[in-house]
Amino acid sequence: MGEVIVVTSGKGGVGKTTTTANLGTGLAQLGNKVALVDADIGLRNLDVVLGLENRIVYDITDVTGGHCRLRQALIKDKRYEGLFLLPAAQTKDKTSVNPGQMKELCEDLRQEFDYVIIDCPAGIEQGFKNAIAGADRAVVVTTPEVSAVRDADRIVGLLEAAELREPKLIVNRVRYKMVKAGDMMSIEDIIDILAIDLLGVVPEDEMVVITTNRGEAVICNDHSRSGQAYRNIVRRITGEQVPLLSLEEGGLMNRIRRMIGFK
Amino acid sequence: MDTGRKTPVSYSQEDVEGEENTILIRRTLRSGQKFYYEGNVIVMGDVNPGAEVVATGHVIVMGQMRGMVHAGAEGDESAMVMAFRLLPTQLRIANHITRPPDDEEPGTFPEVAKIRNGVVTIESYQTGRAAV
Repeated sequence: MGEVIVVTSGKGGVGKTTTTANLGTGLAQLGNKVALVDADIGLRNLDVVLGLENRIVYDITDVTGGHCRLRQALIKDKRYEGLFLLPAAQTKDKTSVNPGQMKELCEDLRQEFDYVIIDCPAGIEQGFKNAIAGADRAVVVTTPEVSAVRDADRIVGLLEAAELREPKLIVNRVRYKMVKAGDMMSIEDIIDILAIDLLGVVPEDEMVVITTNRGEAVICNDHSRSGQAYRNIVRRITGEQVPLLSLEEGGLMNRIRRMIGFK
Repeated sequence: MDTGRKTPVSYSQEDVEGEENTILIRRTLRSGQKFYYEGNVIVMGDVNPGAEVVATGHVIVMGQMRGMVHAGAEGDESAMVMAFRLLPTQLRIANHITRPPDDEEPGTFPEVAKIRNGVVTIESYQTGRAAV
């Protein structure tokens, strides 16, 4: 029986969809059977990010409405054998699915998949309630900005109220230079407010923009720091203990400097 | 029957408040969560920015108070707000509304807010002197 994980944030634009795509791809790379569910009905994105837009025939509302079988709506990924997408509808809105239907859908999916990852829409209304209805675990994505952290805090409260205990945190788009200079919230500042377990920290990385525009996941890129961060997060999700990425910018040169005694 | 309980010191009526109800919240209040109570409120956790605690009596936070707090919400000017870290976005006592000064470094020790001579004042918390 598979596990259902919802990726949520409250605020828009912090990287829920990117995170969902990368976690799904990463879990599939490790040989898991993964279903990605786009719960953002009316503003679907996950299919675009994965480069699968042109293969959509049926969507999530067709499944919940009984117009097609679940298998017919699932789109197989281009690159990974075990990765599937259940796309959102673009011409309908959030009220076309209810939490009961989502719960049922998650139950069906977990029979067949090792991991079911749900991409939650921004906001705290119907779309959010739908997305969390069938989940076992929640991953909260935030960026080091006061507004994003405030919304994440609201989300953690709502998850707790919905009996989704112990959500895990991903801090996205961190610029270590700015944190060092005191111009950006540090991971410690964020944890101090949210007081939940850290699943990982993803540095700001141009490669995310480049790969996303190509319909690829940055986790497939072996040389990018954000890809490495996502790979570590994936391993932590599967239960492995992985230390956090070094918080310093620059990598090799810094390491050499440290070795020869400069700071 | 001897219950094993003893009263080691006798208190005067002014030292002990037994009239009002007091409630204990054993968790952190997060953004968007509002707590209203007719009586005193003790929070064993933090009150995060965007959360609200409103009480007709005192409010004590055994953690960081970063949200909006209103003590003595029905006009009790003797109500106090006490916190391990008193960093509220806004602090209200009875019908006084205050916010922390823009340029002041927040304290790193327990503090008490109360009305003194008609003005909300914040002072460091010293054992036994809170009610003075």
